[in-house]
Amino acid sequence: MSTKVEEKKIQRIEDILNNDVWDVDYEPHIKVDYNKCRECKWKPCIRLCPAECYTLVGDEVLFSYEGCLECGTCRVVCPENAVEWSYPKSGRGIHYRFS
Amino acid sequence: MSVINQRFDAIVIGAGPAGSTAAYQLAKMGYKTLLLERGRTPGSKNMFGGRVYLQPLKDIYDDFEKKAPIHRWVKKERISFIDNENSTTIEYESTKTTSFTTYLTQLSGWMANQAVNQGAILLTEIRVDKLYRENNVFKGVVVEDEVVNADVVIDAEGINRLLLEEANLVEKLKPNQVALGVKEVIKLDSNLINQLFGLDNNDGLSWVFIGNLTNGIPGGAFLYTNRDSISLGIVLMLEEAIRKLDKHIYKLVEEFRIHPLINKYLKEGRIMEYSTHLIPEDINSLKPRKLYYDGLLIVGDAAGLLLNQGYTYRGVDFAAYSGYLAAKAYDYAHNNGGPTSDNLSKYEELLRNSFIYRMLNKFSGVTELMKKERLFNTYPALINELASRLMHIDYDSYKIMEAFKEVKKGRISWLTLIKDLWEVSRKI
Repeated sequence: MSTKVEEKKIQRIEDILNNDVWDVDYEPHIKVDYNKCRECKWKPCIRLCPAECYTLVGDEVLFSYEGCLECGTCRVVCPENAVEWSYPKSGRGIHYRFS
Repeated sequence: MSVINQRFDAIVIGAGPAGSTAAYQLAKMGYKTLLLERGRTPGSKNMFGGRVYLQPLKDIYDDFEKKAPIHRWVKKERISFIDNENSTTIEYESTKTTSFTTYLTQLSGWMANQAVNQGAILLTEIRVDKLYRENNVFKGVVVEDEVVNADVVIDAEGINRLLLEEANLVEKLKPNQVALGVKEVIKLDSNLINQLFGLDNNDGLSWVFIGNLTNGIPGGAFLYTNRDSISLGIVLMLEEAIRKLDKHIYKLVEEFRIHPLINKYLKEGRIMEYSTHLIPEDINSLKPRKLYYDGLLIVGDAAGLLLNQGYTYRGVDFAAYSGYLAAKAYDYAHNNGGPTSDNLSKYEELLRNSFIYRMLNKFSGVTELMKKERLFNTYPALINELASRLMHIDYDSYKIMEAFKEVKKGRISWLTLIKDLWEVSRKI
């Protein structure tokens, strides 16, 4: 599957990510403490997670691990230490082929 | 897992360029080496911009140029100052080359294969959970509650140093220590690439962009030609990105892709992959206090050994060479009574006498310089407006100094300009 890029408009992140391959683990390798997110004014994870794993639903942060690219950015930028981060278990997670 | 019950001379954590090269060199010297990789294949967790410098790799691998998965030899270099509508470019072209483009996923895989050919044992889909230590001496690794023993452990876990943190050897990463790279790989016919960029068969282009593609945030953008694809992406200093980025980061990559001066090259293209990685920036604070301990050596990104030279990064050759030196240091320690911290300090000595420390010292001011916003906002705009005044002629045209004074006005003082020029010429 590949996204045609002829169009001169910004694609949706979902469509771009569709080109990547994962072997998704059954259990999340990252856990987010939403109580801490509620206290967080800046929520830099929303803009800086390149896979947009963090989204805002109303005022609440919602995290999903499935599309994670394992870069570690959320862990570094989180001002509240709300992200408990590890790598997916044995062989799971993102599988880059052309990077 | 019968392999795991054996005892090894060396366990290498991570089959990226640093780890695979360490394992290759260790096995080549006859050491019983176990190379552990958490991904399904070596390289599957690796990502980089797109270009590798050749010479250090030639020193390590026999016939590297003939055998390695090289896409294109970089013979054309462009540096562009870009804004929404204009770009001013410096182009350098040569019949000679010192670097090539490739996918790091492929190159790491190839390196791990070389290690296997030399007799190293490669196990994939193995995530190391912990460094194993007895009485402050590192003696192996823990994988799913099982201990695997070795004389020495070589940590090539990459920039996210979970194992070193757990062992209290480094602190958690801070935003001011790293940059974030995000890229798209776009499929494009190889002949079309040659036509579009004026390249011969296996010749490649490396193209760096400085300007407002980064939303005013210190960093830059890049474009590399692979065999039949284009890698394009952006790099942002993370601390500044936290404060200033006002949209989702992927949008910056997309805006770059659809920029009128870029998109014209990509009309026939299709996105093949989207990838991201953190990049070591502030090496002085990133580098662990020591890179050698009783039974442990630290290499590659985990050691903070990556060079930002301003207009280019050197990561892969630095990583691989550090792995190579770590293997040599272990060899020395092994022949001198064992891998004690004292004996393994040979690694530090080898690094100090190599291009790695030489270059890191020489370019130590670059990251600080790169954080100056004028470099990304004021100057690209100034250069483009100057060029635009000189090139766009209707009736009256400008003399150079006249145009320069006009575009400089209100933007920057002579004093700041001269100070910046001085700083750039000293640090880069």
